[in-house]
Amino acid sequence: MPVINVPKLIFMQTSELMQSYLVDSNTWDEMYSDSSVRDHYRNAVEFLEKLSIEDLNKREEFAKRLFMSQGVTFTVYSSGEGIEKIFPFDIIPRIITSAEWDYIEKGIKQRLKALNLFLKDIYSNQFILKDGVIPAAMIYSCPHYLREMHNFPVPYDIYVHISGIDLIRNNDGSFYILEDNLRTPSGVSYMLENREITKRIFPYLLPQSNVRSVTEYPTILHRNLVSLSPRQIKNPTIVLLTPGIYNSAYFEHTTLARLMGVELVEGSDLVVDNHKVYMKTTSGLQQVDVIYRRVDDEFLDPLVFDPGSMLGVAGIMSAYRKGNVAIVNAVGNGVADDKAVYTFVPAMIRYYLNEEPLLQNVPTYQLGKDEEREHVFNNIGEMVIKKTNESGGYGMLMGSAATAEEIDQYKAEVLKNPRQFIAQPIISLSTVPCYMDGKLKPRRVDLRPYALCGPDGIEIVPGGLTRVALREGSLIVNSSQGGGSKDTWVLAQ
Amino acid sequence: MPRFFIHHVTKYTYPEPVRDSANQIMLYPVKDENQEVQSQRITITGEPFVEQFRDYYGNEVGSFMHISPHTQLRIDSNMVVITKPIKFPTDEIAIEQQWDHLIQIGNVVPYIDFLKQEFFNALPEVKQIADAGFYKSVSVFVAVQQLNTYVYDNFDYIKGITSVETTLDEIWKLRAGVCQDFAHMLLVMLRLLNIPARYVSGYVCPHDNDLRGEGATHAWVEAYIPFYGWLGLDPTNNCVVNDRHVRLAIGRNFSDCSPVKGSYKGVARQTLEVGVSVSGEDGPGPRPDSSVLTTQVVTGKLEDGAGDDNSYRRHLQMVQQQQ
Repeated sequence: MPVINVPKLIFMQTSELMQSYLVDSNTWDEMYSDSSVRDHYRNAVEFLEKLSIEDLNKREEFAKRLFMSQGVTFTVYSSGEGIEKIFPFDIIPRIITSAEWDYIEKGIKQRLKALNLFLKDIYSNQFILKDGVIPAAMIYSCPHYLREMHNFPVPYDIYVHISGIDLIRNNDGSFYILEDNLRTPSGVSYMLENREITKRIFPYLLPQSNVRSVTEYPTILHRNLVSLSPRQIKNPTIVLLTPGIYNSAYFEHTTLARLMGVELVEGSDLVVDNHKVYMKTTSGLQQVDVIYRRVDDEFLDPLVFDPGSMLGVAGIMSAYRKGNVAIVNAVGNGVADDKAVYTFVPAMIRYYLNEEPLLQNVPTYQLGKDEEREHVFNNIGEMVIKKTNESGGYGMLMGSAATAEEIDQYKAEVLKNPRQFIAQPIISLSTVPCYMDGKLKPRRVDLRPYALCGPDGIEIVPGGLTRVALREGSLIVNSSQGGGSKDTWVLAQ
Repeated sequence: MPRFFIHHVTKYTYPEPVRDSANQIMLYPVKDENQEVQSQRITITGEPFVEQFRDYYGNEVGSFMHISPHTQLRIDSNMVVITKPIKFPTDEIAIEQQWDHLIQIGNVVPYIDFLKQEFFNALPEVKQIADAGFYKSVSVFVAVQQLNTYVYDNFDYIKGITSVETTLDEIWKLRAGVCQDFAHMLLVMLRLLNIPARYVSGYVCPHDNDLRGEGATHAWVEAYIPFYGWLGLDPTNNCVVNDRHVRLAIGRNFSDCSPVKGSYKGVARQTLEVGVSVSGEDGPGPRPDSSVLTTQVVTGKLEDGAGDDNSYRRHLQMVQQQQ
């Protein structure tokens, strides 16, 4: 779906707040339809229009101060040194109807069910390869296909305990899957913090808008972690394993540990003895039952994976294999959220569930295939090219915004290892209102709902992280690339 | 059917106590129709419990921990193994059909893993040696033996000039190394011809010192011969493997088969000594006895204490090179 330059429609609005809200006619706007406010935004818009600009500015300022004082930050890596920044927050909530949510929820559950079955299969019988649904070469060339996980017993056969699947909305209003994040998805703390901030800055609007709650997320996650404990004891020891203070999501690690009431540990706080994991405490070693790790697979166990890792714990994989400790998410999930394997997820849904996918993929070209690569190179101005094993907006090329030199450099990079790249047509993401200098302006968004899978099934907290491209016309929502976020409201029936 | 008594010692010594050691061993001989393990006893400092599992390639792997402070970690493996003579390929299938078969299985599990060749700078030069146009006029069985001999003839067997970190480019430039380097070079050539090839770690059991690779663990290669199966080739000794090699593990390369590896906390300075003594009922040589076993220093670098905080360097030192 190429971006086409079309004349913009101007909606004349009575209020000052609304008067400069210009909607691109080739884009789905979440607030406006045919020059009128959609029903589910009406209550909020009426409320906002009653407020003066000074009042809104004050609330925006208040929100900024709250984020600063609570230390809600993230780190941008490519800026040379680890610089902590406030995650920009836009005060206007993004609103989703209950019907839209029901569909999203069903679609994500379906997808996760298939992805989990795929992981179980690919690490055991490999039926999907034997039946030729996915080429073996696709899996065996994936750097995150960990042969160490083959025939490895995983509790309850659950691999994806926590996922953050990214959705976008195209100009026809339908939701598409942009990518599956099944390893250590981040951002859920912003979902929680954004809601807390909204409660403070719009204390009356929230209760009267019939918004579903997201605050139970840590409770559900904690309950699932407890249920995975190999020892059937009353208070199993659960830890959150962080790479440490220099990690971009360290704020999130501390927040989740605090909200769940579990220990926050680094690799050096743990030791493995006789195939059990122990936490070093002032009163001696304490056995650990469940590890919610935010350390990537390759750094988890220097004995098995990257021997240079200082972040992991030597021997942890043998404790895991023996069933003495549960690890969340499971190790080896990267083969399922690889951006080239992504192309096959609709086929997985048909293969494992015998169902048609509810949520569609964005059309994706494999640059490992000669004819697809040629097509992409010939239409590079309309494409976004991504690395199959990177996330967070790193290592991507937006064809419409790159210089000829950048494109040539990127092409050379692609040709070194084409399998590691995919391309997608630039999708015209939907827009939502953002508060900018006293006016509402449309800005592009995506949506990352967080799904939790435990022995009793999959639960998705109604809401998620709405990431917004704050720069005018920008399509990149990643926090590392100048994006911000918004509170995400899912309305009750 | 030869019967071998093998004693394999791995000993790490530290100048100051170290702790939190976790280790993985691949010291269990393969059990199949060509190899029978009559007995095996593994003893380890501190007598830790060794958990065993089977890895992706079917190898038996043991893992154990030793967390209390220690200045020495010694692993003794004593085993009695019977090997059986191998029936070599008869090469009756038409040559073209053999190479066609290899194309058919190229993208099939498990062969796919044993065909993948990482890029290195000298690859185009190696490709001129492993020239598909030339070798496809002979059978796969003949081709693998010719390449085996090529490596033997063109590389010098010199101990101490390479280590577990030596790259393929360096080996190619040196045209020398030990069995591990010979094996890696042959793997590249076979894979360039689209012949699935895997690394084998084990012991060599010579008659009258007639084979290289004594005194440490040995390494060689297995090539997939169409309509036959895996055939062992030892480029260090220029022979097709028969009943004088004892297999411990197979994998894509050395790092899949590392006989002993570990990780610990403490000083980086350490000495690794490895000794392997083999005696057979049908050959000379002493009965295995630890008192007569001479260990050899394999690595002992960083004696000046440099890199104490570098766990990667430490790891490399804990991995023994195969000779």
